[in-house]
Amino acid sequence: MKDWTLKWMFICLLCFLPLAMYLHLISGQIELSFSSYLDSILHFDSKNTSQVLVREFRVPRLLMAMMAGAGLSLSGMFMQTLFKNPLAGPYVLGINSGASLLIALSLMTGVHFFQSNFGLIGTALIGAFAAGLLMMLIAQRLKSQITLLLVGLMFGSFTSAIVSILESFAGAESLKSYTMWSMGSLQQVEFGQLGIILVIFALGIIASFLLVKPLNMLVIGEKSAALLGLPIKATRMFVLLLTALFAGLITAFCGPIAFVGIAIPNLTRILFQTTNHRYLIIGNVLIGAIFLLLTDAFIQVLEGQISIPLNALTSIIGAPFFVFLLIRKLR
Amino acid sequence: MIQLKKVSIGYRAELLHAEKLELEAGKVYALVGRNGIGKSTVIQTISGIQKQLAGEITMNGQSISGFNPKEIAASISLVDTRFEGVEYLKVKDYLALGRAPYTDAFGRLDSNDWRIVEEVASDLAIQHLLEKYTDQISDGERQLCSVGRAFVQETPVILLDEPTAFLDYINRKKLLELLVRLSRDKKKCIVLSTHDLDLCLDQKVPFLLAAHGTVSLHEALSKETIIEAMS
Repeated sequence: MKDWTLKWMFICLLCFLPLAMYLHLISGQIELSFSSYLDSILHFDSKNTSQVLVREFRVPRLLMAMMAGAGLSLSGMFMQTLFKNPLAGPYVLGINSGASLLIALSLMTGVHFFQSNFGLIGTALIGAFAAGLLMMLIAQRLKSQITLLLVGLMFGSFTSAIVSILESFAGAESLKSYTMWSMGSLQQVEFGQLGIILVIFALGIIASFLLVKPLNMLVIGEKSAALLGLPIKATRMFVLLLTALFAGLITAFCGPIAFVGIAIPNLTRILFQTTNHRYLIIGNVLIGAIFLLLTDAFIQVLEGQISIPLNALTSIIGAPFFVFLLIRKLR
Repeated sequence: MIQLKKVSIGYRAELLHAEKLELEAGKVYALVGRNGIGKSTVIQTISGIQKQLAGEITMNGQSISGFNPKEIAASISLVDTRFEGVEYLKVKDYLALGRAPYTDAFGRLDSNDWRIVEEVASDLAIQHLLEKYTDQISDGERQLCSVGRAFVQETPVILLDEPTAFLDYINRKKLLELLVRLSRDKKKCIVLSTHDLDLCLDQKVPFLLAAHGTVSLHEALSKETIIEAMS
């Protein structure tokens, strides 16, 4: 692929992003005028229903859709490069499960690891990181890329079994809050929480660009990268931490969202035909954000008649794509 | 250039022992020995990724175990036989990874880096592969690319683990001749493990013979002596 083709693709994606954002905003059930968007930002009036709708529902949902799409895609890209396995992803390898398990523990036992807003993020992050660490330890002992998937699957079953047991002990109230969370939704974030999420997300993106060189080296394998002077252990930890940061952050606020993290990085690689992570990072952010915006716009359009959980819709699109990847890989 | 003193090579138990070896710049050394004797382990030990059980390996008088990863990468390059190619990784980008020890934190390459890549590609006659993807060329071509990456790394010491394994006879002969010429021209110390006794004998390269628990250096050996020593 020539450099100018890459540039054109970025320009196309960059043009498509505002369009997807626009589609997402107008697909809500209640029609809102452009002026209420403007007013809610410039001079917010808490008595104006449309402005409250914009602030409390439309904008948080828009931003969460973009961040969830971009974050999960990046998280998947990191794992695929780190494990040298295009079939890796935060969902299939149980990173989400790790976060879910700790969140279930904290929601249903009432024991909170941290207080306040940070509580949920911190809990999810620790769960995601621990699961990532476990997967990495196991991956080093495995030769086959498929075996790792099976281990991830088993880990998922194991954690969901523990969650089921927890559920049978939990009270009605905490059970309800966990079930709501586990369906996956972009609507749970409040306007006030957006700031902190945006900051963490932005820091994660900056850190991702710092990893371009190590990631490009990891493409040819850990051993070869080490021989080229890459400090492997530190790199592994840093990459895993970022993976957990994105997966944990998104999982904490939106619940588990399946297959985005595995499908988008592969799609990006197939579209851009490069292993250079400078382009892959930008590509994953753009394509991931656009994908989830469109998916969620579709959900919003149908919301009057039926409410489809986000996790269900991404699975319906993502699972067949994953099978396609498997066939492509194992043919 | 490289010195091994009373080095014990192996993972937990000693596989091979090198009493005293001195490898010079400008020469190609052929590491020969039977399957499973530990040739790869010898190469990995000299490269620093595998710690020796005892003894000392020095480069220009400095102990290699004191080198940090970056210093190692600028001194010794190792080519593993099994580079299987990576989807969407172009040969030129693969070769350019050899510049990694010298590039900045973002891995940006300047015109000098690309000049070195071009030069090595022309030395190895693989210019026509530069724009191709590493998973879409033949095993032999890929092997040449791996050797190329080591040259792009511009280290004084180059270790090659069976670089001729997938090559046809003509390409084996060519590669060995090329290595001998480049080692002389660029004052490099090259160690390669191989089973191509005849080709090595033709090129009159010194042998590192791994047999009966020891590695020893021989400037000139006849085929019969080698075979007798190995069995």
